[in-house]
Amino acid sequence: MIRDITIGQYYQGSSLIHRLDPRLKVVGVLVYLISLFCFRYVIGFLVAGLFFALVLHLSKVPFRYVIKGLKPILFLLIFTAALNLLWTPGETIWKFGILNLTREGIYKCIFMALRLILLIIGSSMLTLTTTPNQLTDAMEHLLGPLKRFGAPVHEVAMMMSIALRFIPILLEETDKIMKAQMSRGADFESGNLMHRLHNMIPLLVPLFISATRRANELAYAMDARCYNGGAGRTKMKPLKYNPRDYKGYAVLVLYVIVLILVTRTVAI
Amino acid sequence: MQPIIDAKDLVHEYSRRDEEGNVTGITRALDGVSMQVKQGDLIAVLGANGSGKSTFAKHLNALLTPTEGTLYVGGMECGDHTKDLDIRKTVGMVFQNPDNQIIANVVEEDVGFGPENIGVPTEEIWERVADALKTVGMYEYRLNSPNKLSGGQKQRVAIAGILAMKPKCIILDESTAMLDPGGRKAVIDTITRINKEENITVILITHYMEEVTGADYVYVMDSGKVVMEGMPRDIFARSDELEEFRLAVPEAVRVAMLLREKGIELPKDILDAGELVDAVMKLQA
Repeated sequence: MIRDITIGQYYQGSSLIHRLDPRLKVVGVLVYLISLFCFRYVIGFLVAGLFFALVLHLSKVPFRYVIKGLKPILFLLIFTAALNLLWTPGETIWKFGILNLTREGIYKCIFMALRLILLIIGSSMLTLTTTPNQLTDAMEHLLGPLKRFGAPVHEVAMMMSIALRFIPILLEETDKIMKAQMSRGADFESGNLMHRLHNMIPLLVPLFISATRRANELAYAMDARCYNGGAGRTKMKPLKYNPRDYKGYAVLVLYVIVLILVTRTVAI
Repeated sequence: MQPIIDAKDLVHEYSRRDEEGNVTGITRALDGVSMQVKQGDLIAVLGANGSGKSTFAKHLNALLTPTEGTLYVGGMECGDHTKDLDIRKTVGMVFQNPDNQIIANVVEEDVGFGPENIGVPTEEIWERVADALKTVGMYEYRLNSPNKLSGGQKQRVAIAGILAMKPKCIILDESTAMLDPGGRKAVIDTITRINKEENITVILITHYMEEVTGADYVYVMDSGKVVMEGMPRDIFARSDELEEFRLAVPEAVRVAMLLREKGIELPKDILDAGELVDAVMKLQA
């Protein structure tokens, strides 16, 4: 189950979306994420949803694969939805003790849930179609101006890409340690929250030790391959805008305009 | 000709410290190691766990600096850190755990990491990556994620990553220890071919005796010292000594030895199953 997490995973492919410039994709995701918080009517979700569907279709990533990324936040999703549903003040529909179901609550709950879902699956499209190295390059370019103020842009970007690369490895390892400890009688599934947290110690300690050891070895391996920070480095895949990227930016602008027009004129 | 690696009386000490940072003990991981390696040779360094062979390997790549003694790699002295990058360009290193040395999420990007670091122009990086991947036979996997490859395939990608930097010498620091027999054979075959065809010096650090049969020269290390050296045949003939250093001789060599003890007259320098079979057949005739 732990390997089902698709956030931060790359889905191999060569679709149009895969080939787009990563800078466009990063900017696109940012615009899309901000746009999700800029409307007050349900119709906005339709526009955002359609935009997402278009990107998804072009990327040729199976929808089921993207949806799997929601699994780990399912609990959070239900929790926030329930909170919003039952504790929002307003026009009461149904009341039971401290639980107070209101019309506003229902609206808020739907909004929150849709927002969260679109947020997660939308941003996972970025990592699903962009290799971590491309992502790093894009970040480095977009944050480039900060270098002038002494910000370690290259180093941070490198750290991010390495973190992404190690997610599946560490997940696999967690799975392995969990099974090993379970076979020796460890119990991760019963008891109250405190009890469960306490039971996590035999999982976390070996995981931390192994992660530190991996980090040490990786540092050696990077040193051995002449890694010396950002200075004097060339790029195997330098970022270069193609005509299709300018079209991509045009589509993005179009999306924002449509969203503004629709949410201004249709008030549902 | 100047040797590519010239180590003289190399000593390396690790100091253990208590919580206040006071030195509580000193471990001598290397104790007077001397070694000279000619360009183009395939050298094996054998040793059990804790014999200091990995510490020695890390010196050759300027990842560690000697406490005492001198070490020249490609004519450059290791010690002060001014030449580190040049030394690492000359000597590439492949490590034990394939997962912990692959940096990128796509095979070709990982192979390109080294050349990127040393500032190779873009078009040349692509050429080098393609060449290196073809050499190790992983070209058709260039767009794959390393996570989907087997251990042996990952190690071959790691070797390609080093090859793309065009070093004069490659060190394999127990690079086969975590692989299954099939993967191990693929890695050893690849590295032997690279040694022959590209004339790249190879230093193979291992505790599997089977892997050193193809080496030009073998060093055996124990407790930080070089305790035996010679041609593989001569080393294997001294199986009693090898066992003292916690090293097991290959199966064929062992069988031949036991047969000799039983009074069957077999030559002392049998290396592998093929030679053993030949020798036994000759006995019959």
